[in-house]
Amino acid sequence: MKISFRWTLIPALALLLVFAACAAPATPAPQPTAVPAQPTAAPAQPTEAPAQPTAAPAQPTEAPAQPTTAPEATVAPTATALPTAAAGRTQIRWFVGLGTGTDPAQVTVQQEMVDKFNASQDKIQLVLEVVAYDAARDALATQIASGNPPDIVGPVGVSGAEAFHGQWLDLAPLIEKNNYDLTQYDKGAVDFYKVGGEGQIGIPFAIFPSAVFYQRDMFDEADLNYPPHKYGEKYKWKDGTEEEWTYDTLRKLALLLTVDKNNKDANDAAFDTKNIVQYGYEPQYQDLRAVGSYFGAGSFVAADEKTAQIPPQWADAWKWVYDGVWKEHFIANGPTRESQEFGQGNPFNSGKVATALTHLWYTCCVTDAGGNWDVAVAPSYKGKTTANFNADTFRILKASKHPDEAFTVLTYLLGDASLDLLKIYGGMPARTADQKAFFDSLNETWKQKVDWQVFVDGIAYADNPSFEGYMPNYNESFDLANVFLNKLYTTDGLDMDKEIAQFQKDLQAVFDKKATP
Amino acid sequence: MNSFKELLTIPRLKPIARREALQGLAFISIWFIGFFIFTLIPMLATLAFSFSNINLAQEEALRFVGFGNYQKMLSDSSLRNALGVTLKYALIALPVGLAVPFAVAVLLNNKHLRAKGFFRVMFYLPYVIPFVAGIFAWGGLLNPEQGWINQTLEALGVQNPPGWLNDPLWVYPSLVILGLWGIGSAVIIYLASLQGVPTELYDAAKVDGAGWWATMRNVTLPMMSPVIFYSLVLGIVGVFQYFLVPLVVTDGTGRPGGATMFFNLYMYKTFFTFQNMSYGAAQAWVLFILILVVTIFLFWSSKYWVYYAGETREG
Amino acid sequence: MATKQANETLAPTRTFSARLARGLREPSRSFIITFIVVVLLAFFLSPLLRITLNSFKTPSQVAELGTPLYPAKARVVEYQGKEYEIYKVPFAEGVRELALYKKGRATSEFIDPANLDAPPIVWTGAWRSLDRAWEFAPTLTNYQQVWDLLDYPRLMFNTIALAVIGTFGTLISNILVAYGFARFRIPGKQLLFTIVIATVFLPEAVTLIPTYTFYVKIGWIGTWLPLLVPAFFANAFDIFLLRQFFLTIPREMDEAAKVDGAGPFRILRSVILPQAWPAVIAVGIFHFVYAWNDYFAPLIYLSTRPDLQPISVGLARFNSIYGNKPELTQAGTILTLIIPVIIFIFMQKFFMQGVVITGVDK
Repeated sequence: MKISFRWTLIPALALLLVFAACAAPATPAPQPTAVPAQPTAAPAQPTEAPAQPTAAPAQPTEAPAQPTTAPEATVAPTATALPTAAAGRTQIRWFVGLGTGTDPAQVTVQQEMVDKFNASQDKIQLVLEVVAYDAARDALATQIASGNPPDIVGPVGVSGAEAFHGQWLDLAPLIEKNNYDLTQYDKGAVDFYKVGGEGQIGIPFAIFPSAVFYQRDMFDEADLNYPPHKYGEKYKWKDGTEEEWTYDTLRKLALLLTVDKNNKDANDAAFDTKNIVQYGYEPQYQDLRAVGSYFGAGSFVAADEKTAQIPPQWADAWKWVYDGVWKEHFIANGPTRESQEFGQGNPFNSGKVATALTHLWYTCCVTDAGGNWDVAVAPSYKGKTTANFNADTFRILKASKHPDEAFTVLTYLLGDASLDLLKIYGGMPARTADQKAFFDSLNETWKQKVDWQVFVDGIAYADNPSFEGYMPNYNESFDLANVFLNKLYTTDGLDMDKEIAQFQKDLQAVFDKKATP
Repeated sequence: MNSFKELLTIPRLKPIARREALQGLAFISIWFIGFFIFTLIPMLATLAFSFSNINLAQEEALRFVGFGNYQKMLSDSSLRNALGVTLKYALIALPVGLAVPFAVAVLLNNKHLRAKGFFRVMFYLPYVIPFVAGIFAWGGLLNPEQGWINQTLEALGVQNPPGWLNDPLWVYPSLVILGLWGIGSAVIIYLASLQGVPTELYDAAKVDGAGWWATMRNVTLPMMSPVIFYSLVLGIVGVFQYFLVPLVVTDGTGRPGGATMFFNLYMYKTFFTFQNMSYGAAQAWVLFILILVVTIFLFWSSKYWVYYAGETREG
Repeated sequence: MATKQANETLAPTRTFSARLARGLREPSRSFIITFIVVVLLAFFLSPLLRITLNSFKTPSQVAELGTPLYPAKARVVEYQGKEYEIYKVPFAEGVRELALYKKGRATSEFIDPANLDAPPIVWTGAWRSLDRAWEFAPTLTNYQQVWDLLDYPRLMFNTIALAVIGTFGTLISNILVAYGFARFRIPGKQLLFTIVIATVFLPEAVTLIPTYTFYVKIGWIGTWLPLLVPAFFANAFDIFLLRQFFLTIPREMDEAAKVDGAGPFRILRSVILPQAWPAVIAVGIFHFVYAWNDYFAPLIYLSTRPDLQPISVGLARFNSIYGNKPELTQAGTILTLIIPVIIFIFMQKFFMQGVVITGVDK
């Protein structure tokens, strides 16, 4: 039975390994050497060694795993649920990924801001968590669901926030308690975050008006004047005639700026649709609702918050784009825009598209488009001009265990850290006083003298209600809209009226879904 | 269930036999502990979820809903669609996924082939490529406008080459092609088994005047049937669990028009993106039972077509 | 060498003339078979070719239309502080290489690189239809960027550490469990083994959320433990593979060792393992490559800790919300391939012997 005894050691030790690890967090945290879970797990491993001598080499190999976390553990506890671990400091987790902020260069600056904050006081330990955009929504859902939520989330736009409808903390009590001064912002900007009866779920931070980006060289090559830079101005053709700056005018320009490999433009009878090397227009990074909203603000959901509707001007906008893709060929179709020759979803940046309607944050992503683009104002539709508006900020989750500390961090991000952050996010400061400094910093990057005033003027034409607003079963409705837009880009020969009617039906079906049986 | 009762007989065994049994159990227990902690308990937890109304927003109080989530599935048209998508894909992916690696293995096993080692490495190579990168590469090749494949087809005079990943029908062959890139390990397994077929059998076939096809049918295939069976089982499990590739290829939207909304992807979306944990859990269990039923059927059928050559069946 | 092999495989019925005929056919058959495989391989690896070529291109080279497949750059000439691309412009007297100075739809102006001071030459025609003068211009900046932006050495270290530790755990645990199944008389063993095999059919998703929640509760999220610890508890695939192999080793050998007084561990070490190492290498390589490419688990468990992520997750970072960077992903891919390929090349001979599956026992 001597041997037999040794045998029972294997399962026993294996169990020990697991329970040692499990038990770790259960150990009261206030111990002087309160160490995160993994170092506690480590001692369990050597106990395995006697039974299995060959297991010994595992320790040295595994050791590097600890140093990566251990040194930080003295400064910052690992990103695990150990709120009281680091020397009496409250840990506040800042989650980045639902919008911009995941680019390696942006991460560096964000980390600098975190380090500065941590050095400035000894109550709060701020920890930065960056999750790639594609994984961020699911990662955040998982963290909330498993009771391990971060405290601050952002930068996040309205759409990203709606994906977690009902999860955001109403900041009004904290604003009052801390006497936070809201008058430094435009009142409209503040009220922008007071929607849907959820209270004040955000404080203004970055705003992104929209405009038409255009390539000066391509207009020169086609011997065309540049589009207007002032709202209300008309477009001047080279022959001296003037025309209202409407989507129809933009369409005419786009046709002239769409060229095949033989220099024939899209109006030419001999135009070769199979070999287009330059496109006239691109709704760059605009989703289905945004595409619609440029023709006039609206919403998929009626006032009763239940019924699916398609604003008629949105339907017009989709048809305009659809014909632009398939009948008149001045917009790249799905496969083309996805190809690496046309920028993999970012056609304007490929330097082969003449105009693109998009937001100010697009300065993030035009680095390869050449250094000679400028911006013009958004055209009008049926006498009304709408320039879509995005706004990003940082929000606090309802599930946060330390809302007060989170608010302190929030005011830091919106305050001392804001200029550095806005610069990397390409966001115009909501605080009016900071706007000039921001555009000066943009001029350092873009030396071709871009007319930034176009964006500032665009604020007056913002879409109201915001195209990103609430829909029932937001995530599923949002997916459905994406799939529909994708279909428009990839399928020739659709009967648009039929498709739109069907889309409305599908949307209604999603709206009607109930989460619980 | 006899064997289960046998387990209880351990205390009544003779000391030597008991010692051996306990030693053996000690070894095996390593696996069972992992199984309990990392598989069984979480599974039961999921089962519990599926009978509740747990979700991320949790606007109503947590409560027991009985078979509500399971009933809901019956009327969920998206789920029906997802099941159909999975079956459609399986119809193409399984035969191709079995035949192509087998054919490649037979080719690589051909005695006339030169530089075998080199080709083995080359066919294994893509298996090592991070799958996100593989998807990018194939996505580029399959691009209907700019991709090499359609440009080649157009050069060969094909008028309307397929829309590949953008086309609701062609998307399945496209995904199968994507999947074929990872055949490296399957080829290796087939190849190893091909080399394990005793040469005497081939010689005997030759003596009987059997041609290439007859040898293949009467010697190679039967001798390979355990491996083919093994691959088939894994293939089916893989098809039912297929979701990472469409998740990355279509950002999980299921485009074009829901054609890539696979069962497992839909479940993942329900769980994480639509944040309805209880419904997702119910779907997970249905998926599990589906796979179980299909594989049980396969195992049952295997006795009719899988050939075990003098298998060492120790007791 | 060759004759010895031939003698072994030749059936006695084979005549001299048949042997001669075969000898004559041999080279042409070899050629045909090898040719078929090469063509197949060319198609099979064409995406890899594309990855490789792209990894040496700048973003604008990737996007450029009508370029050669290889990384190419149009020759340029500098004029008044700006660069102008050189085109092959046809004239009545022949083709001239001129730099495109001012683009226009119907007429364009060119300058002569050889004579920059001369006035621009006006040419009527479509400049887009002209050929350019290409030169081979690969760039290494992608590799450098991947290296710097991603902190590649760190990612590589993480990947190697995860793969090595995981492989180690897999080998130890699976060898022990497979040994238990292959060599010990345990009542009810068939049932236990069936349960083991049945776990292959479990959809991972069934266990995902509770497992994740469990890891949160014990503080493992944002550490390597969820990726490593389960590897130390064996898994059905490898148990199966190893058990099948162990079964082919004659039992008489361990009986003999037992008579000499060897315990189970010594039998495992001195009898089983020396004969089973092709299978052990196979399991090792399978797990190593699996861990090397594992994407989903590191993604969800390490999503908040870029400093602990392996390369597979790190590469996906270039696929961000706005603006993919294909050339960087592709350069990263090439860098990632090197180590597993080298391991595979060196191990493939043993590896091949290890993965013989002789049947799924019920």
